[in-house]
Formats: sequence, C-alpha cells, structure tokens
Amino acid sequence: MPLPERDIYYFIDVTLTYLNKITANEIVPRDPTIEFQSLVFSAYTGLLHLKGSAEGFVYITASVPFLQQLYGSRYGRGRFAEESCRDLMSDVTNVIAHNVRKRFGPALHLSEPHIFSTVPDDPIEMPPAVFVQPLLWRKEQAYFVLGLTSSST
Amino acid sequence: MNIMTGTEVFRRTATYEREAPTIRLHAPQWKLLLAFDGQRSLAEVALSASTPFAEALAQAETFLESDWIAEQPITLEEYLKRASATGNFSGGIIPPSVVLHEPKPEASRTETKAENGAAGHPPRDTGPVSRGPMRLSAIVDYIVSLAETIQLGQLLAYRVFLRVPPEILQSEDIVSIHLVDDTSIVRTGALQKAIADAVQDITKRTLPDSVYATA
Repeated sequence: MPLPERDIYYFIDVTLTYLNKITANEIVPRDPTIEFQSLVFSAYTGLLHLKGSAEGFVYITASVPFLQQLYGSRYGRGRFAEESCRDLMSDVTNVIAHNVRKRFGPALHLSEPHIFSTVPDDPIEMPPAVFVQPLLWRKEQAYFVLGLTSSST
Repeated sequence: MNIMTGTEVFRRTATYEREAPTIRLHAPQWKLLLAFDGQRSLAEVALSASTPFAEALAQAETFLESDWIAEQPITLEEYLKRASATGNFSGGIIPPSVVLHEPKPEASRTETKAENGAAGHPPRDTGPVSRGPMRLSAIVDYIVSLAETIQLGQLLAYRVFLRVPPEILQSEDIVSIHLVDDTSIVRTGALQKAIADAVQDITKRTLPDSVYATA
C-alpha cells in the first residue's frame, strides 16, 4: 500500500513543528525542488533510513551558522562547539524518528539516526529523485531531504 | 447557475477584497482571477490570462461559488457594441468574441475529451505525438492543483517524477525541477510521453492542453 502524500508530508510537518518550537515560529520554508542527480549536504546531517511502507531515507542537513543560532535559541549563551552541532542534529533526528514511529508503528521501520558532518560515512544510493525542502532561518539555511526508492511507496 | 457562454462580464467582489490576504491559489489561477475587471468578457479574460477557455470556465465557476467574482451587468449600448464588433448579433447565444484555440490537428483531438482533470485514458501505445513543447511549470502546477494543499500537491508531483525514467530526464538535461515557476521546456516526445504516462499512473488524470507552450 503506497504511503499517501499526507503521510509523507508528516515527515516535513514534524520537522517544521520541532524547529519552529525552538525558533519561535521563525522557520520559513522556501520553494522545494526535485533533484534527479545529486544530494545536498550541508555541514551537519541527521539521517534516517526507511523500510516497510516507505523505502528510502529522510534527512535534515544544516549549516554551522544555522545550528549555532539554533543552539543559542535553545540553550542561551552556552559554549558552542562541534559536539553541539552533532547533539543538535541528533536531537532533531530523534524527534522526527520518535514521532514517525508513534504515527506509523511497525509498518514503517526507521533506522537509528546517523549523524555525520559534510558527507555520509557510508555511501548513500541515489534514488530516482529526491524531494528537497529548503528551510530558511535568519538568512541561514537548512534542508529537509526525502528520497523514496519508488513512487509506489 | 446558467450555462456560461464566454460573453459574461465579471468583476471581483467585496468578499474577494476582504478574503484576498488569506486566499491561496496557484499562479495561473491568480492571473485569471486578477484579470476579471468588470470590463472584459470571460472569453477575453481567458485569452489575456493565456488560459484555455474550458479551464477559465471551470475556474470562473469556482470563483463564483467562493463569491470572489460576480457578474457585472452591462448596458444595452455595451451589449450592442460587443455584439456588433463580432458580427454575431442574432438575439441568441453569442459565441465568444475572440479566437480561443488554434485548430487542433486530427491526431490530438481524442485527447481533448479528458481535459480539465476529467478522468480518462490517453492513447498510450500510439507513440509520441508532437504537439509542441510542454512547459514544466504548467505540468507541475496542474499536478499541484489536484491536491488539497500546495504542500501535498508538491509531494504528489514528487511521486509523479519518481516514475519518470531518469535516463529520459537526463537526455533532456533536466537534473532538477523547481516546484514553483520552473522555466524548463520539455521538447522531446519521449519525455513528454513519459511525464504524461507518469501523471496518468499516479493521479489517474490526463494532462490538459494548457501544459503545452503557446506560440
């Protein structure tokens, strides 16, 4: 049974809801694109592999300034370091995973979050097309990326 | 609602003015809605907005139901002026006063039955039939218009393009699609057919004529 658009949108919705909670609703979704040949990776990425009712992956990737602002908004003036970027990415990805698991149950299996900087440690197979949703916050960008292996999922 | 003939003149309403800040429409729909000026007929508005008449008719009905436009009665003098301008004053139904479509080649006529989102099955094994280039933005806008919201429509477009063979997209150097206002033109018959088939498979709809670029 293919995952309807409304269910696919849930991934974006839960990401936006979480980020907006931290940023006081200042995240601005920009016009999305469909990419056929390349994946976009910013400084830090949190990735989940999907199996079951949807096959593929979902990730959020953000620049250091984006994460720095996010850190400031969430923790105030604490010391910001590389580890902070990884922790923030881990938080966002875990929140997505938690909510998605709660909504879809065992029909959709999610991997443990993979957090990496710059490019993935393990190669990611490029699906036929990926959906890229840019997210803007105070002139800094992050990207929500969804890659399904086929239209029937 | 009476049958519309294209000669009706509509103006935007106070309801529209009040609701405008919260109205969400696709760009082609805005173009059409903003063209209703209380002066030009529906047919003239369709032409000015580069919208096929059948689509403009359907959109006008939607706008009427939303109370965003209302028919603007015209005086006898205006009516006579319009009628005489077209040489069609016969007291009966007056056809639109402008040319709405170029005559279509015989080969493409069968497809017009499924225009405007009506479910239908295109002739799929007749091979690519060149009807001129397609505008990618118009294809995306059409797919998006089939969904309840723009976001869901954009994901529907994603599912459609997941089904288009990547090698055909590559052959036309399409590596990316902007889901708002993409400027790409689809020229080859193979890619046009692949997209039309994908739209048919995923949405069960046939692409309308409006996706073809006008000369």
